Amino acid sequence: MIPEIGQFALALALMIALVQSILPVLGAARGNLLWMRSARASSIAQLVFIGIAFLALTRSFIVSDFTVANVVENSHSLKPMLYKVAGTWGSHEGSLLLWVLILAAFGAGVALLGSNIPDALKARTLSVQAWISTGFLSFLILTSNPFERIFPPPLDGNDLNPLLQDVGLAMHPPLLYFGYVGFSIVFSFAVAALIEGRVDAAWARRVRPWTLAAWMSLTAGIALGSWWAYYELGWGGWWFWDPVENVSFMPWLLGTALLHSAIVTEKRDAFKSWTILLAILTFSLSLLGTFIVRSGLLTSVHAFAVDPERGLYILGLLGVSIGGSLGLYAWRAPAMEGGGLFAPISREAGLLVNNLLLGAATGTVLFGTLYPLFMEAVVGTKISVGPPFFNAAFIPMMLPLVVVMGFGPFLSWKRADLKGIFQRLRFVAVLAGLSGLAVWYLTEGGPVLAYLSVAIAVWLLLATLREWTTRIRLFEVPFADAMRRARNMPRSSHGMTLAHAGLAVAMLGFIGSSAWKSEEIVFVQPGAEIAIAGFDVRFDGVERVQGPNYVADRGTLTVTRDGDPVTILYPERRFYLVAQSSTTESAIRSTLAGDLYASLAEPASEDTAASGAWTLRILYEPLVNFIWIGAAMLVLGGGLSLSDRRLRVGAPRRAITPAAQATPAE
Amino acid sequence: MMLWGIFSALAVAAALFMVLPLFGAKTEMANRQAGSVSILADQLREVDADHERGLISAAEAQAARVEIKRRLLALSRLPETKRMDGIKSGQALLVVVALAVPATAGALYASLGSPQMPSMTFADREDERTQRVEIADLTERLLERLKNDPNGGPTEGWMLLAQTYMRMERYSDAAAAIANVTERKDVTSAILSQYAEALIAAEEGIVTPDARTVIARARQMDPANPAASYYEAIALDQAGDSKEAHDLLLARLDAATGSESWVELFVAQANRIGDTLGRDVVRLTSIAPMDAAPSSGPTEDDMAAAAEMSQSERDTFIRSMVDRLANRLESAPDDLDGWLRLADAYQVLGDTQKAQVAYGKAERLAQTLPNDDPRRQTIREALTGPEQ
Repeated sequence: MIPEIGQFALALALMIALVQSILPVLGAARGNLLWMRSARASSIAQLVFIGIAFLALTRSFIVSDFTVANVVENSHSLKPMLYKVAGTWGSHEGSLLLWVLILAAFGAGVALLGSNIPDALKARTLSVQAWISTGFLSFLILTSNPFERIFPPPLDGNDLNPLLQDVGLAMHPPLLYFGYVGFSIVFSFAVAALIEGRVDAAWARRVRPWTLAAWMSLTAGIALGSWWAYYELGWGGWWFWDPVENVSFMPWLLGTALLHSAIVTEKRDAFKSWTILLAILTFSLSLLGTFIVRSGLLTSVHAFAVDPERGLYILGLLGVSIGGSLGLYAWRAPAMEGGGLFAPISREAGLLVNNLLLGAATGTVLFGTLYPLFMEAVVGTKISVGPPFFNAAFIPMMLPLVVVMGFGPFLSWKRADLKGIFQRLRFVAVLAGLSGLAVWYLTEGGPVLAYLSVAIAVWLLLATLREWTTRIRLFEVPFADAMRRARNMPRSSHGMTLAHAGLAVAMLGFIGSSAWKSEEIVFVQPGAEIAIAGFDVRFDGVERVQGPNYVADRGTLTVTRDGDPVTILYPERRFYLVAQSSTTESAIRSTLAGDLYASLAEPASEDTAASGAWTLRILYEPLVNFIWIGAAMLVLGGGLSLSDRRLRVGAPRRAITPAAQATPAE
Repeated sequence: MMLWGIFSALAVAAALFMVLPLFGAKTEMANRQAGSVSILADQLREVDADHERGLISAAEAQAARVEIKRRLLALSRLPETKRMDGIKSGQALLVVVALAVPATAGALYASLGSPQMPSMTFADREDERTQRVEIADLTERLLERLKNDPNGGPTEGWMLLAQTYMRMERYSDAAAAIANVTERKDVTSAILSQYAEALIAAEEGIVTPDARTVIARARQMDPANPAASYYEAIALDQAGDSKEAHDLLLARLDAATGSESWVELFVAQANRIGDTLGRDVVRLTSIAPMDAAPSSGPTEDDMAAAAEMSQSERDTFIRSMVDRLANRLESAPDDLDGWLRLADAYQVLGDTQKAQVAYGKAERLAQTLPNDDPRRQTIREALTGPEQ
């Protein structure tokens, strides 16, 4: 019964989305207020009914209702409860249901919280959102029905991929989708503005919190995904330039550009065309990502051609939405009046460079991701574009961007005094150069690019801090005065400082863990000792342990440094009986200075397993945790900016009741 | 009934959402110019506040104020927004939409949903699991008994064991069980065709040379054995002789009266092969008569085997037959008569819930039949009220 309720709720949601696609936008065109305002109720109704469907599916997973085909395919009665719940979005059908749920949540969010948005803009925005919703709901219902029933029901399910049985990964898709899909509402705002033919500072301010929320979720989602790859895959890497990673990284790059471009539109009434284009392209890349991941294109172009129904449907959606919005852009954008002028050296120019470099970087990643697919489809040869390409093409573009980032916040709007800024940043530049040299002196080996990168990361960190101290006049005025100025500063500027510093910290993590990584892959008998990065690791043997739905071989490694005990590591190899597959559980000793990372590879042969000999992989990755600390700073910075009350002063009705507003982080 | 109650509640809720704007606050339209003006005014106030806090210098504040005021001026020069319709117009459309949304959603659901199918949680299916364990247990005991029998065990016993293995999808075990009796004097064509079936299933549908030999023996003993002809056709098709395979199936169908249980399977297979050959589609209606009294499942051999069993063994046996039918229908769900037989069997076994589901499946397939088809009547009666 419960799955049928979900099915019916989904059908209702589709019909409501269809109405919402037409009625409000028609109302806006004909000046009918009633039709425009129907968008509010229908947005909320969509969220309610898709929510019911999602809960129905979740319930089916929780109670292991094997009359639902999707539960049979993706769950098992023996699975721990957390992963039963996570199984809801673990499958193709379930993840699409989550996709439309988040889409509806953003629509309802604008309907409920956007009381300061003019009726016509809101109606058009929500109608555009409903176009996307209609496309994906019909895709879900017609080609990937999550409530497909099975009779007679099998007695038990086929389990979820044990690789995916992990807390980090259970939370990864929801966060990633929140970011991915969150950009949909920005897209809808942009298309609505194009239909209206007007973009101004007020528009940019209304859109900004939504961009920030989507960007924060995407940042958190990407960081979580990379963290998962780091400790679950057992290779010790945190980024593989894998297509699945790339398709989430591209919207992030363009989303970052959009975030900055929208600031110019809000504060200077300029870059309107840029902002609209970036909003359209960012969501288009999200759609492209959904298409690439969900069509089966990645497994093989051939597999896609054999069963093309789903892939072609999304490809159609992709063509209509990207083609349609870009067509609309080409038609309407020239009509938008240009913004204020600015000198070549100014905050605007700095942000323009930011837009250009991020856009070019996105293009590079896009090329590297799609090229192998094209090659396979057209020529028929399978090639892979891996880290060497991305490292060679992407990093040289990012380094100048980071250099500019150090200057950016010092630049004033319209025209800036470059000489004065150089004077202020003299010491920072010297310190950054010295830090590069110091690292060169302290370490041996390592590419020149790494020393340069360290210097640039330190430059960004110090320049960002210097800008903050300049702003609050620390060391110039008495300390109490400086603190008062810091409190008075809008939270969004603290957010900027935190986020920029976060990127510098994360960069140090990227550089440290890739340029100075030590790695040992050894074939060992119990009692063997391995020396790595100053640690002595003794292999004490492997024992068999029983988990809830797996058995594991657990190795014991005693770690000492100069004879003093440091820690004992227990890497595992788990074998999941039902799924008949195994996973690696690495053991990691985490410190700020670096991670000692051990994983157990399979025994070389049955005979050697009996004699207790195993292949061990031991790594030392300096500063690797800086990556996730930096990512957390980026997210927190976005949060600070989002909580800035200045984003809300645009709401005249809300200003009367300031007590009703949530003011987090104060 | 409860399900329909919830559906109605959802439908009403959806309709209410659609007419909600009618009861909304009748405020004036929020003008976009007014909104933009208020945002710019706020920006002006922010500039003043920043200046007071000492965040920006007097000159900077002045420059910013001039800019914002310039934008305010530009805004006031924009053309007036066109007159808006009153709040009253367009109400009728909302009412129409409120009725159309549940109606169309209902129609969509009708093509997607299976309202008669219950949820079956894992916890609720304890009996089924116990039963399966019991069957596995019984099977083991039967195997032991047959193996320890000094006379090699009765043929019926080995066949029962094989059928149980087939239902458990242990095809190689089933084939091994039948292999014990295929050289006996009392071997029948039916036993041999079941042997062939087990061998083919064990190889995931590939007809091996061994299986081919068995099929030939079965046909030699009884040229009318439909199962043997069926597997011969599959063997021919796999060997590349699709034309012969198709001819064989058609020849058998021509000789059929139409009431045989295997007709549908033959038609489906003939059409599958015929499709690759570009031959005409065979219609079931041209063979099957319309008075489909559901024929019973087990064959004569099965009944003979069942007669020699104890009560509990017989129950297990019947269940295994029913489950086998259910499994077959799962992989070939377009078999209307099959679903009717299954529903009937569940009804007999007292498993009303499962019977209802099977009738529901049959109902979906029966939709294409003419209205006066007796099968539709049977389904309607079964679904609307077994109590009456």
